[in-house]
Amino acid sequence: MKHPDTRDSLVVEAAQIISHEACAGAQYILRVHAPRSAARAQPGNFAHVQCHPMLPMRRPISIMRVDAEQGWVEFLYKAVGEGTRLLAQRQVPESISIIAPVGNQFMVAEGPGRPLLIGGGVGMPPMVFLAQRLRQRKALQPFVVLGSEVPFPFVAIPSRIMVPGVPSDVIAAMPLLDDWGIASRLASQQDYAGVYRGYVTDLARQYVQSLSATQRAQVTVYACGPHAMLAAVAALAREFNLPCQVSLEEYMACAVGGCAGCVVPVTLPEGKAMKRVCVDGPVFDAGQVFS
Amino acid sequence: MAETPSSKLALQFCGLQLDSPIVLLSGCVGFGEEYTRIEGFSNRDAGAVCLKGTTLNPRLGNAPHRVAETPMGMLNSIGLQNPGARHVVDKILPHLDFSETRFIANVSGSTIEEYEEVTRIFDDSPIDAIEINISCPNVKEGGVVFGNDPAMSARVVAACRRATQKPLIAKLSPNQTDIAENARRCIDAGTDAFAVINTLMGMAVDIQQRRPVIGNNQGGLSGPAIKPIALLKVHQVYQVCKNHQIPIIGQGGIVTAQDALEFIIAGASTVGIGTALFYDPLICPKINQGIVQYLDQHGLACVNDLVGTLQVNR
Repeated sequence: MKHPDTRDSLVVEAAQIISHEACAGAQYILRVHAPRSAARAQPGNFAHVQCHPMLPMRRPISIMRVDAEQGWVEFLYKAVGEGTRLLAQRQVPESISIIAPVGNQFMVAEGPGRPLLIGGGVGMPPMVFLAQRLRQRKALQPFVVLGSEVPFPFVAIPSRIMVPGVPSDVIAAMPLLDDWGIASRLASQQDYAGVYRGYVTDLARQYVQSLSATQRAQVTVYACGPHAMLAAVAALAREFNLPCQVSLEEYMACAVGGCAGCVVPVTLPEGKAMKRVCVDGPVFDAGQVFS
Repeated sequence: MAETPSSKLALQFCGLQLDSPIVLLSGCVGFGEEYTRIEGFSNRDAGAVCLKGTTLNPRLGNAPHRVAETPMGMLNSIGLQNPGARHVVDKILPHLDFSETRFIANVSGSTIEEYEEVTRIFDDSPIDAIEINISCPNVKEGGVVFGNDPAMSARVVAACRRATQKPLIAKLSPNQTDIAENARRCIDAGTDAFAVINTLMGMAVDIQQRRPVIGNNQGGLSGPAIKPIALLKVHQVYQVCKNHQIPIIGQGGIVTAQDALEFIIAGASTVGIGTALFYDPLICPKINQGIVQYLDQHGLACVNDLVGTLQVNR
């Protein structure tokens, strides 16, 4: 009997912690040795992490970066509940069990384009991973907007890359993205030097408005962050008629599509449906989720 | 391809030949194929796989959040999201590999007539057996509403019995006063086996929002937290079943081979694994190995020799 192509698409891996850095705002950058996951992961994918052996449920955590050659996977997470607080206590060289790489991925069309990546809070990691892949695509001109209401989990630098529509005093960028030659800017309601004071969507709007009609037709929006932010991003995309893909999160049990515990309501041409974030997502067309 | 479990684990369960006493539980493993996404997981490590609860018509299920972690367990309130019995039989069953394991349908309904109709649809299919879900705590009609009343439970079982000659397994609720009486009535109505237990009704509260965490306000509690309750219910139902040769799937919080053995000793012929898969998707071969090891250590030829060997204190 021919079995479905989905068979054996995920691995359970004992991922040894290589580094685990605490940042301000209860944020943590966790790098683990997980070569099988690293070899397979694509932007949008996440790992289902056993934060502590005594917890009955794992936690879905977005992948921020991978290095397939060196075999590591990197996460950025915030300690917000019991699971992530216990995860924060795990140290080098402990191993944590992960199921990865879970979920679908962001789809980037062939040819030239202007991907607009918008990440908020712990929604930043999938945008960094997507940017990591986009840097190989020379025909693309990506722009990344990152927002946070706690200090950014990296030391911002003045960007070397000009971006149209962005106020001249908004120069703070993520150094990693600048190194990759990818334009980025930061936004926050807090008063941080060089950071846009306001919502990520306000900054993104100024960028989009500055583009010519031809340039604007090349924009696709990719976003991950809090639900309210994604709703605002979806509204912005709708206003300018931009294709938009959003990555969602939901409480999750199995991460393989078996329990239907992590669904989100969506609107499809045939009517309302419940889609599983783990295997139907986490990336959805914004129009299906925010209609 | 995964190795077939040890022949010591093979058993007969209400007419079905199972390669392992492990049964993967309804609601945890989708429609049979989902866990095979994981490298190293094989349906062959389970004696049987119970498919997601199925109703006559498609159901969207309940609003999120549908799951929440609780101390040593979790709440779920899925609300029987499923594509309808006809779709399951026509579109899903043809893609299942029946050489790997036995597949059991799980039927549900809002009325007795719906249970009967869904059972009839599965009767005309390759499905190996049918579990009657008279214990779902997460729907407003049917489910546990029927399952908490022995007379209604019996009427549902009798209706399903009319619709099929395939083995019927009544899934009993712990949310009732006298589970043994319910079991007696279901045996009289024609059930071939029991699944003991379904989840216990529970709640979790978000103190910041002052709202229930679960979208449906309440959910079914599963996981190690409920194991002692499940063990007692299996023991109680076994007292009714043992004279009728009616086997039991013991389930509720099994995570290790020791847990499984406790259920078997208490009277279960097979053991259900559900929530533990979320914790460790590769748990089945470990439990199989642990059971074989115990059988060897105690000079037992097969699982059946251990079923119901509990010696209660006088």
